[in-house]
Amino acid sequence: MNEWSPKITAFLCNWCTYGAADLAGVSRLQYPPNFRVIRVPCSGRVSPKFILAAFRQGADGVWVSGCHPGDCHYLEGNFYARRKFALLKGLLEHIGIEPGRLHFSWISSAEATKFVEVATKVANAVGALGPAKYLIKQRAEVA
Amino acid sequence: MGTSKVLKKDEWLKVIEDLRKGYKVFVPTKEGDFHFFREYKDGIRPDLNFSNTRLSPKGLIYPQSERMFECPLSKDQEGAFILKESPKDFGPQLVVGIRPCDAYGFLIVKRNFDNPQYRDPWWVRRYESTTFVGLGCNEPCPTCFCNAAAGGPFGEEGLDLLMWDLGDEYLIKPITEKGSNLLAKVEGKEAQDGEIKEAESLKKESQKKMDFSFDITPLKNKAQLELFNEPYWEDVAFSCINCGTCTYLCPTCWCFDIQDEVYKNHCDRIRNWDSCMFPLFTLHGSGHNPREKKFQRVRQRFMHKLKYYVDKYGNGIQCSGCGRCVRYCPVNIDIRNVIGLMCG
Amino acid sequence: MIRYTEKIRERARELLGQGKVDVFIGYKKGTVPLMNQPVMIKRAEDVDQLLWDSNCCLNLANYLTKRTEKIGIVANGCNSRNIVIHILENQIKRDQLYILGIPCEGTIDHRAVLRAADNQELLGYSEDGKEFTIRGAGFEKTLKKEEFLRTNCKTCQHRNPVIYDELLGDPVPENTEVDPFSDVKGLETQPPEKKWSFFQNLISKCIRCYACRNACPLCYCPTCFVDESKPQWVGKSIDPIDTMTFHILRAYHCAGRCTDCGACERVCPVAIPMRQFTKKLNKDAKELFDWEAGLTLETRPLFDFYKTSDYNEFIY
Repeated sequence: MNEWSPKITAFLCNWCTYGAADLAGVSRLQYPPNFRVIRVPCSGRVSPKFILAAFRQGADGVWVSGCHPGDCHYLEGNFYARRKFALLKGLLEHIGIEPGRLHFSWISSAEATKFVEVATKVANAVGALGPAKYLIKQRAEVA
Repeated sequence: MGTSKVLKKDEWLKVIEDLRKGYKVFVPTKEGDFHFFREYKDGIRPDLNFSNTRLSPKGLIYPQSERMFECPLSKDQEGAFILKESPKDFGPQLVVGIRPCDAYGFLIVKRNFDNPQYRDPWWVRRYESTTFVGLGCNEPCPTCFCNAAAGGPFGEEGLDLLMWDLGDEYLIKPITEKGSNLLAKVEGKEAQDGEIKEAESLKKESQKKMDFSFDITPLKNKAQLELFNEPYWEDVAFSCINCGTCTYLCPTCWCFDIQDEVYKNHCDRIRNWDSCMFPLFTLHGSGHNPREKKFQRVRQRFMHKLKYYVDKYGNGIQCSGCGRCVRYCPVNIDIRNVIGLMCG
Repeated sequence: MIRYTEKIRERARELLGQGKVDVFIGYKKGTVPLMNQPVMIKRAEDVDQLLWDSNCCLNLANYLTKRTEKIGIVANGCNSRNIVIHILENQIKRDQLYILGIPCEGTIDHRAVLRAADNQELLGYSEDGKEFTIRGAGFEKTLKKEEFLRTNCKTCQHRNPVIYDELLGDPVPENTEVDPFSDVKGLETQPPEKKWSFFQNLISKCIRCYACRNACPLCYCPTCFVDESKPQWVGKSIDPIDTMTFHILRAYHCAGRCTDCGACERVCPVAIPMRQFTKKLNKDAKELFDWEAGLTLETRPLFDFYKTSDYNEFIY
């Protein structure tokens, strides 16, 4: 009865993607139910620590989504975020987190259909990889 | 304590291998460039041709991280929120090839973990169920100063048996009753006068190679505050990067920190080694830190080892002269120089 | 490189004597062969302690953080880059510093040297030009320095200091032929499970002493993330996942800042090659942003500015 389906932590910017999710909802668009959404004020607010914390606590995937470049509510938060995430994604995939677990997108609050598309893409990508295998913190392995 | 025995090296190693039936046996083994004490399981190759292990064997009695208590955290589970002692293995252990300095180190730690005011139950039980088979040092390292700090390269204190490397053979000397009983069960010829003389001369030769010495009297006589307020501490500490290498490698550093960890509906209370080099070590809940500055922390380490311990226990310094901190300190802070300064 | 020693002493003596600097930071000979100790000289008469040889492996920028005096300091390529980063990040002011630049011919890997001596005890070390000699009980070996360079020195692309007040020798030719990232590229082609086990294995001996973190001049946060408790990002025990989390975050904090000076690897008591983490970041910074840390005071650090045209391909 317990068929596995992925748990994905989604850090969504309050000013755009979070609104897009809302719009998708009121527009009765269907999208996968695998997301645990954390509303953040800006994609720039998302610290790499948050992403690691999500993986440590067993998230099968992480998705960060913010405003399109140039549209940041705080003018430039997403530009800084983009630089950070480019290197973070490279590092995490280098140590063995599979490509396809960590996703980024720019979705404006009007783009309900893009939200649905990306959500589906993320859920499928993570689903195809199966349950997370690495970097999951369990009971401490100590003496 | 019975007579010493002499065994061919491979015979003795076979004995050790067979002892795995009654003991959890720990032996030095080479991993990469250095030696570590590891449990002697299939696939582990004991290597007694070593100067000393990179990490001191203190972790065999006092693991770096150790689960002390645990409890379930959901109300419907039995014993929820009530910490219970975690199950532990206190079966007999045998440590083979421990250097005399490290064995002496356990005696120093014992004064902290096993005294009339306080008995650490886990440390004591593990220590008591462990038999230490030492290996004397024919070739002390240039950084060693066990001759000055502890019982020397063939020191017997803290050991149950002591091995002498005579080339093709080991001379094995029983030191305690525990060791004697163990050796009695081992087949081997009794040591002859010639071999005993050879062993004695190895000991003398080895001691001669060690040139550092100091007189503990000034450490005893100087007032704590006098040493505490010496102007040299800032200079001693300048290069320190406040890492935990010295304390974690030290056979005699005993400080720990206790952390609660929650995983799902389960809580673990874990004890981890801690280091006085870390600012967090003394950080108060209020945010105040009485040892906020680097030099204060460095001073604490040396004052503890060379003054507070000396005053409190009247039994030498809290150092067994293994030389690990001298050798592996990333910035070469040499405790021998600090002893010189404090005694000067 | 030993030839710099006399010049350093001479200049430090003058700078201290003339009151141009209050203190001088350099290296002195350690009590163990292959080991030098960072030292701060306060009086002109003490300058003869100063030295420069192939064992000056720690990064002196680490000792500048938030100092207030006028400081003289020696700096080779990587140290000078870290000084630049310190200045950019407001940890020290440029006009507080008098930098004696050292064109660097590389430093030696003490572990490789010990291996060459079959891990026998060393009693003495000396060097002469391109060769150095180690001595122990009953043996003496003369080795070629170029064969024993630290791995980061072998692939170093910035051996000459990028910032200095005077240069103590002619610039050395830069080594632009080598690929500093060949090992990273090799690992990149591996499947995730191989990468994970590679890194798990890499850190398996870690004792969480934080020597790598503390030897790094980039790590000066008043409270490190490992010490934060609300929330606690990483557990304190030697649980392998906690240790891995520590190494990932430590490395990531150096993203766009690491100069590959190798101090972290040099100081590790259990010889973990943790540069494998930071090198990946350096490679990506170079490839994606054409960025190498600490080359100039003119640009802000990598994560402190952006271009609208930045790499965007990984974002939907």
